[in-house]
Amino acid sequence: MSTSAEPAGIYVHVPFCLTRCGYCDFNAYAGLDGLKPRYLAALLREAELAGPGWAGTSFTSVFLGGGTPTTLAPEDLRTLLAHLRTVFDLGDDAEVTIEANPDTVTELSLAAILDAGYGRLSIGAQSFDPAVLTALERIHQPASVRAAVAAARGVGYGNVSLDLIYGAQGETLGSWTHTLEQTLALAPEHISAYALTIEPATPLGRKVAVGEAPPPDPDLQADLFLRACELLREAGYVHYEVSNWARPGFECRHNLGYWERRPYAGLGAGAHAYRDDVRWWNVRPPEAYLERVEAGELPIGGSESLDPSDAYLEEVFLRLRILEGVPASWFEPARYEAFVASGLLQDDLGRLVPTERGLLLLNELVLGLTA
Amino acid sequence: MATDISRIRNFCIVAHIDHGKSTLADRMLEITHTVDERMMRAQYLDRMDLERERGITIKAQAVRLVHEGHELNLIDTPGHVDFTYEVSRSLAACEGAILLVDAAQGLEAQTLANFHLARDAGLTIVPALNKIDLPAAEPDRRAEELAHLLDRDPHDILRISAKTGAGVEELLAAVIAHVPPPVGDASAPLRALIFDSAFDTYRGVITYVRVHDGTLPSHARIRMFATGVESDAEEAGVMAPEATPVDALGPGEVGYLVTGLKDVHHAKVGDTITLAGKHAATEPLPGYREPKPMVWSGLYPADGNDYPVLRDALDKLKLSDSALVYEPESSQALGFGFRVGFLGLLHMDIVRERLEREFGLELISTAPNVEFHVFRADRMTVVHNPAEMPAGGDHDRVEEPVVYATIITPAEYLGAVFELCQARRGELVDMSYLTPERVEVHYVLPLAEIVFDFFDQLKSKTRGFASLDYEPWGFQDSRLVRVDILLHGEPVDAFSSVVHRDKAYTYGKQMVERLKELIPRQLFDVAVQASIGSKVIARETVKAKRKDVLAKCYGGDITRKRKLLETQKKGKERMRRVGRVDVPQEAFIAALRVDEGAKKR
Repeated sequence: MSTSAEPAGIYVHVPFCLTRCGYCDFNAYAGLDGLKPRYLAALLREAELAGPGWAGTSFTSVFLGGGTPTTLAPEDLRTLLAHLRTVFDLGDDAEVTIEANPDTVTELSLAAILDAGYGRLSIGAQSFDPAVLTALERIHQPASVRAAVAAARGVGYGNVSLDLIYGAQGETLGSWTHTLEQTLALAPEHISAYALTIEPATPLGRKVAVGEAPPPDPDLQADLFLRACELLREAGYVHYEVSNWARPGFECRHNLGYWERRPYAGLGAGAHAYRDDVRWWNVRPPEAYLERVEAGELPIGGSESLDPSDAYLEEVFLRLRILEGVPASWFEPARYEAFVASGLLQDDLGRLVPTERGLLLLNELVLGLTA
Repeated sequence: MATDISRIRNFCIVAHIDHGKSTLADRMLEITHTVDERMMRAQYLDRMDLERERGITIKAQAVRLVHEGHELNLIDTPGHVDFTYEVSRSLAACEGAILLVDAAQGLEAQTLANFHLARDAGLTIVPALNKIDLPAAEPDRRAEELAHLLDRDPHDILRISAKTGAGVEELLAAVIAHVPPPVGDASAPLRALIFDSAFDTYRGVITYVRVHDGTLPSHARIRMFATGVESDAEEAGVMAPEATPVDALGPGEVGYLVTGLKDVHHAKVGDTITLAGKHAATEPLPGYREPKPMVWSGLYPADGNDYPVLRDALDKLKLSDSALVYEPESSQALGFGFRVGFLGLLHMDIVRERLEREFGLELISTAPNVEFHVFRADRMTVVHNPAEMPAGGDHDRVEEPVVYATIITPAEYLGAVFELCQARRGELVDMSYLTPERVEVHYVLPLAEIVFDFFDQLKSKTRGFASLDYEPWGFQDSRLVRVDILLHGEPVDAFSSVVHRDKAYTYGKQMVERLKELIPRQLFDVAVQASIGSKVIARETVKAKRKDVLAKCYGGDITRKRKLLETQKKGKERMRRVGRVDVPQEAFIAALRVDEGAKKR
């Protein structure tokens, strides 16, 4: 197996949630809590099975996503991270992120989680507008977000991220501005703000399909995006990916790994891994995942090998996403001149970087550049 | 051996769709033992797939029944207004017609029109009310109606049920008793009328013929009068109901002829067959007419690479469809295609369907239009494509085809019928009461006004009770203008349309509103305009697209995102460019679609 000199990341998927939200198409389930002990054991086992394949790779980040990883007990989370350290070459200064939903954490649990080594906390705040939270079928209230951040700060968290979703039913420029202001008031180190996307295979997707819920208005979402750009820029946040902002130095190292096309291992149901232009992924249903691992097999469900044109396309769109831009020399001038002239791209010393308006039309830019 | 001419009866059945013509034919096949009981199936004579699906008869054909020492030739007639000329040729092969009317529904316009055709052709009419077994039947009232029309005693109208067979024996007896035998001169040179033709992949062109004079031998050198084409016929026969070869067809007889020709255009409906050489007749039978397309449409392959496939497909279809005409044309927006002429919307639909089904083509068709005559300094130009109409005032006048329409409606809907016809630029000719409750109305209407949704409108305004028939009625001067549609300042030739000046604004507004919904947002505002010459009469704007980006793109999303981009890329490649504007195929198809209901007749 080839080794990579590039620093790599480990993604661990925890598919348990207290409830399912109508818009979410992640591999997440409510009511499977009974599987937790087996699932934890399987994660440990899978790490052992996968570890040898990653010999020689040094890892600089771990990301526990879901689902809601904080639905696992703090001692289980401690066991998990400790085990990952024994199997993988994980640096002491690695960035270790855990996602949490406001109502699943307390000062007590957060203290234990931080102590277990999860130094970066990403909280699913989504909105500070009760109506929008209801439209998203989130069970928490704005107050829970403030309480969770306060608890995190209280136990010593110095790297907190808040996730926001804009453009749900009932969202207005006013409500979104309010959400941004409330978010800024909590002074998180990092903010992710996502335009609500309607996924067909979700309850919300079906509602939109049959006309029971309106589809998001893309023009409004564009305005909301530009508002976020403006307010977060004024507040001193660096816009470093389409949907991500951070205080300088607090960019998420793990997620940057995806966009910079660095390797990552994936553990857990449906988790993806990538190295050297090969991507592979685990079987998605938790039961199937458990059975495979318990049988002593790597639970791989599928893989793809990127040919040079696939890799090129990914390189272009990912570099554009993270505002690193792409060298103008990669393209015929005719491909980008109109974009520069219309203010969707700027030519930054031979590097084509999307403007804020350009980020909103990233698909068009990619298609226009690579057609 | 040819049958004694006095024992031959050639007849057809004039009936509205659904009034039971096919069922009656089935009963006749049974009663005369023409089809073995075990082989019998419903609608026996309606063979073609398309016919079955649409419930109408496209190809006329003749079947020989032998009954009570007589040879009865039942000649089928097409039941659609698109095929009026074919109907007239079928009638010309007969001496009599059964006028079959649904005892519940009464006379319909098409039946009436065909009845007039039959009577004008000198046919003996044998009237019959069908479906007398239905609870809704009103035989007494319908008998009055028919008696009034035929100027006969109501008691002369036979009452039958094709479904149960009741009265069908009597009907056959009436045909034998009342329809005169054919007249023909056995010693005169051969003259046989082609009343239908078909193309068989293995046997070439097969014509259905009625021998008037002379004898048509099974193998003979034959000549077509209208086309002058000669050929060696391979087989003569009768349908009984399967093809049964005979040695010869004598005067008055009806049958088929395998002509040895390979192209139906050489053996046209209405033409006369004679023998080649010194035994040729000198005069054809009267009534031949070149098939005349009434409706035109541009047909383009959705995939430009399919142009040769479309060309070959049309060439093949033409072999079996003598009414089909086409010429190549090109459109800036749609590429290379053909301007195709059809007898009517149904014919258009059938051709399109066959092209798509039999040749696997995906087609874009422009909105159908009629033929226009454009006059400029006393020179007349025939225009089949709206894009060829002069845009501004550089012509003196324009003529459009009109039709003579017969509408039968319950009297209570007369107002609604008037209103509709007036709105469609109709001129009332006359009206008469068939009964106190039912009125026959005649209008001269522009063909362009009725080819689209007129019939649907008529049906919906009369709760389905009115019926319509029409025949070509020449051309008339009209204030017609060409409305162009422009995208971002570029005219889209495929969207140009010729409409009456008073309707130009409404039409233009409708089109731009429709296109506004169909044209995807681009990276810039796109003006969608309708104009007459340089004057813009309607405008909408497709606002520039502002957002097209995936919010989340983490580990597993990247593959999905890449595939999404590849799909988007393919979609873009399939789009047509009009100036700077990308227009998907679907938008063309949807914008040019004729409302579906308009084609069902």
